Amino acid sequence: MSEPGGLQGSTLPVLEKPTQEDRPGAAGPADHRFWSARRVPAGVVAVLLLVVAAAFLYDVVAVRAHRSAMAWRTGLARQLAERPLDDIWVLLGAGVAAALGLWLIVLAVTPGLRAVLPMRRTHPDVRAGLDRDAAALVLRDRAMEVAGVQSVRVRAGRRKADVRAIAHFRDLDDVHADLDAVLTDAIRGLGLVRPLSLSVHVRRPGKKG
Amino acid sequence: MLGTVNRVLIAVVGVVLLAVGGAVLAVGLGASAPSWWLHQGPHDVLLTTAERTRWRADAWWWPTVIALLALVVLLTLWWLTAVLRRRRLGELLVDTGDGAGALLRGRALEGVLAGEAQRLDGVAHAHVALKGRREAPEARVRLVLEPHVDPATALDHLTAQALTHARDSAALAALPAEVRMKGAGHKAERVA
Repeated sequence: MSEPGGLQGSTLPVLEKPTQEDRPGAAGPADHRFWSARRVPAGVVAVLLLVVAAAFLYDVVAVRAHRSAMAWRTGLARQLAERPLDDIWVLLGAGVAAALGLWLIVLAVTPGLRAVLPMRRTHPDVRAGLDRDAAALVLRDRAMEVAGVQSVRVRAGRRKADVRAIAHFRDLDDVHADLDAVLTDAIRGLGLVRPLSLSVHVRRPGKKG
Repeated sequence: MLGTVNRVLIAVVGVVLLAVGGAVLAVGLGASAPSWWLHQGPHDVLLTTAERTRWRADAWWWPTVIALLALVVLLTLWWLTAVLRRRRLGELLVDTGDGAGALLRGRALEGVLAGEAQRLDGVAHAHVALKGRREAPEARVRLVLEPHVDPATALDHLTAQALTHARDSAALAALPAEVRMKGAGHKAERVA
């Protein structure tokens, strides 16, 4: 009975360490993703709205001032009064408008900035994010230091780091084990809120597989 | 703040486009519409002359149309300037403790912060912009990291040194910061 207890006692500190590291991040104000300000879509929508509204305003006021309406407005009025709903162009236009509207709604409710991985807080006031490209670059740099590795390609996803290495000497399994160890350590060094999971592939130069 | 405004307005435009486009598409493809709806069947036109000129004789019609259009124009103008303007803090208030207070140029603090961040190990380039209010500034930090340094370590150093020093030297209670880390360009791969 005492042995399992002793075993638990010896494994607990090891298990606890990462949770303790996690805690300051969890304790701070939510470590959520970075939200884009959506400047570009906002600018585009604002410009288009402005152009359309200003054109209508100008022409409506001009007509009120007893000048004749511009050709585009009389043309638009005629088209609106002539085109039936099952006209192919009307359907096409309506489809485009609906799709565009859906896209704008998606832009409005999603965080964006998928390239930025949130980092654990070092201080409650400091919020940091790491670009996926930068994460990949760091992992690549570490992987290149492993003996036997000739070249590496690292792709950092939002949850997973995909590492493809070419080893020109040493046993592939040894290289794989070394890469696993080095990169696990490097991923810890990225200091992310959600550490990337690791997938390592090692092969010989000139062969696929 | 601007992000919320942008998202709300984008969503409003999106909902309008989706509703109008979806309704025309649905009726045009043969769905039945409620009796009060503008279109009754696929052979209806988008907007008849009668529908368009329905309230034209009423005294309120043109002033209302013009007022609405003017409102939209003003709103979009304001929105556009808000989107295009990059707000930066011109100066911030330093509490000197004797009740007088002093003004510190935002650019000066930005320069000091960026300079110190840039001297940290593994930081190739740093850019700092101060935002927020002059009693409660916020820092936006962009770091370009060299691949040999661990980002977590760089962030630790930045927090403990550059940001803490800046906060203390300007006698600020807090200096909230948002840090973005990017990678410096590739090095050549090792050649065997």
